[in-house]
Amino acid sequence: MERHLLPEEIDLLLDGEVGFGTPPLKAHVRSCAACSKELEGARALVRQLEHLPHIAPSPMFASRVLSRVQLFVPWHVALLDSVRGFIPQSRALRFATAGLFATIAIALTTASVWAWARLDAVMFTADFVLDRLRTAAFGAVATGLSALFGDAARPLLAGGVLGLATAALLLVVTAAAAAALIRVAAVRARGR
Amino acid sequence: MALALDLRNLPDADVAALAKEGREPAFRELVRRYERPVFSLIFRMVRDRETAEDLAQDTFIKVLNNIDRYRPEFKLSSWLFKIANNVTIDHLRRRQLATVSLDGSPHAATAAEAQATSLDVESRGQSALEAIESRELGSAIELAIGKLRPEYRSCILLRHVEGRSYEEIAATLDLPLGTVKTYIHRARHELREALEDLRQ
Repeated sequence: MERHLLPEEIDLLLDGEVGFGTPPLKAHVRSCAACSKELEGARALVRQLEHLPHIAPSPMFASRVLSRVQLFVPWHVALLDSVRGFIPQSRALRFATAGLFATIAIALTTASVWAWARLDAVMFTADFVLDRLRTAAFGAVATGLSALFGDAARPLLAGGVLGLATAALLLVVTAAAAAALIRVAAVRARGR
Repeated sequence: MALALDLRNLPDADVAALAKEGREPAFRELVRRYERPVFSLIFRMVRDRETAEDLAQDTFIKVLNNIDRYRPEFKLSSWLFKIANNVTIDHLRRRQLATVSLDGSPHAATAAEAQATSLDVESRGQSALEAIESRELGSAIELAIGKLRPEYRSCILLRHVEGRSYEEIAATLDLPLGTVKTYIHRARHELREALEDLRQ
C-alpha cells in the first residue's frame, strides 16, 4: 500500500474487524511508523474510555425509585401465591398431603361412579333428605318466632314457607331503612 | 431473602418476567443491576449530579411502570438505555431552549463551528457539590467527553463504556447504522484532539 491509512481504515482496525480487506491494512501498519503511531494513539484513547468507572447514584436511589413505582400483582399470580401458601415446606409433609388429596379424590370418584349407576336410588334418597331438612328448618324457625312474638307470629306461620319469606324480607327492608336513617343522622350531626 | 439471592443469578429476561408478575424483589433487582450504568451515562451527558439523579429516577420509573410492555426478544438493557437517552436528550433540549449554551450553537454542524460559537467562562465559584462533581468528572478524558455534542457523547459512551455493538447502539438510539459509525468516528477524533489540547 503506497498511501497512509484513511481514518475509516484506522477505525476498522480499532474495532478488530477481521474481514477480507484488513490484512493489507495490518501489513501497512507494520511497515509505516506514522500509521502505527496513529493506530496506537486511537487504541490508547479506547483503553482510557473502557477504563472509565461506573458512577454510583446516592445510596437511597433505589428506594426513591421504588416508592414511585406502582406494584400491580395480576389476579392469577395472587391466586397462585395463595395456593402456594397452603403447600407445606417439608418434602415429607408435601408427600403426605398429596397422598391424602389423592385418597379423597379416588373416594369421591368411586362414590360418583357408584351414584351414577344407581341414579334412581340416589334421587329418592336426596329428595327424602331435603324434605326432612326443610321440615326441620321450618320447625326451628316457627319455634323461634313463637318464642319471640307469641300469638302475633301465628298468621305468619299459617302462611307457611311463603309467609316466613315475606316476614324475612320485611325484616331486612326495615333493618336497611333504620341503618340508612342512623347514617343520615350521624352525617348531619358531624356537619354541625 | 432466598428469592433475592436467586434473582442475582437470573438473566434479565427472567427478572423482567418476575417484575411483570408484580414481584417487588424483581423490581429492586433491576434497579440494582442498572442503576450505575444508567446513572453514569446520564451523569456524563448532563454533568450535574442532582439533575442526573432526577433523570435516572424518571428513567427507572418509566421502565418499571411499563414493564408489561417489555418484549423479551429485545435486550432489557437496550430498552433501558433507550429510555435513559430519550429522557436525557429531552432534558438537554429543554435546557437549551431555556438557557444560553456554553457549548456552542446547537445548529453547529462541525466541532469547529461549535467551538466558534461557544462561550468561555473564565472562572466561577464552586459549591461543595460542584467540587465533588468536578472530582468525579474531572479527569482529562471526562473533560474531553464533556466537550462532545450530546449525540456523539451517547454513542461513544455506549460503545466504549458500556461495550455495545454498533447495531445495538443504532437500535437503542433509533439511528441508522451509518450515522452511528460516523458519530463514533467523529467523537474519537474530537476526543483525541481535545486530549491533546488539554495536555498542552
